Amino acid sequence: MTVQFGYPEDREARSAARVRALEALLIEKGVITGATVDKVLGHFETDMTPLNGAKIVARAWTDPEFAERLVKDTPAAVAELDLPIGMDGAEGEHLQAVANTPGVHNLVICTLCSCFPWPVLGLPPYWYKDPTFRARAAREPRVVLKETGLDLDPSVELRVWDSSGHSRWFVIPQRPAGTDGMTEQELAALVTTESMIGIAEVPSPAA
Amino acid sequence: MKLQHHLGGLENLGPVAYEPRVFVEDWEQRIFGIHVAMMGLSTHLGDAVPQYPIEDVPSAFSSVWTWADLRKGAEAMHPFAYFQYRYYEKWLGGIGGFFVSQGYITEEELEAKAAEYLHDPGLELPEGGDERIDDQVIRYLREGDTPRQGPAQSPAFAIGDRVTVKDVPPTDHTRLPGNLRGRTGTVERVFEGDYGYFCSTGPDGIGEPMPVYAVRFEPTDLWGELAEPGAVLYGELYQAYLTHAMEEQQ
Repeated sequence: MTVQFGYPEDREARSAARVRALEALLIEKGVITGATVDKVLGHFETDMTPLNGAKIVARAWTDPEFAERLVKDTPAAVAELDLPIGMDGAEGEHLQAVANTPGVHNLVICTLCSCFPWPVLGLPPYWYKDPTFRARAAREPRVVLKETGLDLDPSVELRVWDSSGHSRWFVIPQRPAGTDGMTEQELAALVTTESMIGIAEVPSPAA
Repeated sequence: MKLQHHLGGLENLGPVAYEPRVFVEDWEQRIFGIHVAMMGLSTHLGDAVPQYPIEDVPSAFSSVWTWADLRKGAEAMHPFAYFQYRYYEKWLGGIGGFFVSQGYITEEELEAKAAEYLHDPGLELPEGGDERIDDQVIRYLREGDTPRQGPAQSPAFAIGDRVTVKDVPPTDHTRLPGNLRGRTGTVERVFEGDYGYFCSTGPDGIGEPMPVYAVRFEPTDLWGELAEPGAVLYGELYQAYLTHAMEEQQ
């Protein structure tokens, strides 16, 4: 994170005290309850995690017809799976999957803010929200991917999706080599958040 | 222009901070939770698609609070401050300021209470409150707030059309990435239905339901000689931002 600016030494302690004060006052005044924030956080800790996306990807790898439906009508295909309630809830109202192929790699960004498919991938990692990533991934995505360890072949078309509208995009990465015969559950365990945003591929378990 | 509307393609920023955590400090979780609660209690949800019974929810919150409000705050910042502060520091500034400006709390009581917690970080939060508040917030998380409204009206553009992005007047808030202004691309997809936005953006042009398109831009059309070969950018653009490309009108 940037260190170009000066910050007070008690920067984090001040923010921590201010947010606690704000929460306390909102509870006292009846805006929220003493349990609201914990319940919101619990929703993301237990229900809306990248595990949902991993299960969707694993199903797409093992069922080509599902993979086809998933790209064509993502919400309907996601609804076929046994996932927590709320996959079409907040920030999942208009999910849209894009599939990587040997000739096409997809990358999801949001240059205006931090739009992210919460129900599928959980909450966005810090780097996704960082202005430097958002600025650079729009103009020099190949360089950015290379910095994170993905050296994309020049013949591969790189499609960068800027989430400026209603859709919440996520990537179906390619199934890695060396996974023949693995169960859907075993495959899901291989899938990373990074691969479903598109800054990484799913590594082969043999590697 | 606002720097925050033109981040795409900003040069010389140096390496990306690849921090994989969502929250880099524990306190950030709390402001995230407060923001989600505000969205789930926002009075506009009475008109949302699931028709939330928002008037019956016994919360003292009586405002509209959506992503648009949070984004407007971030877009109103000094551009250097936008880079100076971490993501959730911006949220804390914007949300704290909102509750003060709307009269829910005063800056003095916030400062006084913060001084107490700064002095004694172990001090507990108050307990209690009406569970129906939490139920509404969780229901919002599960059922959402779709911007899709009504049946599709006839879209002005079709798949394959060449479209040029308008250079609409700058306003306090926009959903038009600045690097696409004036650029020409190809409509690759017409989304089903019409899509509103949380608020009117005035002369910027969105708010009322309208068609939305996925538009494909070739790298050299966006970045000239700085373009990376084979790196195509897709924008998801509201109809108000688009016009038929000049080359097609001839």
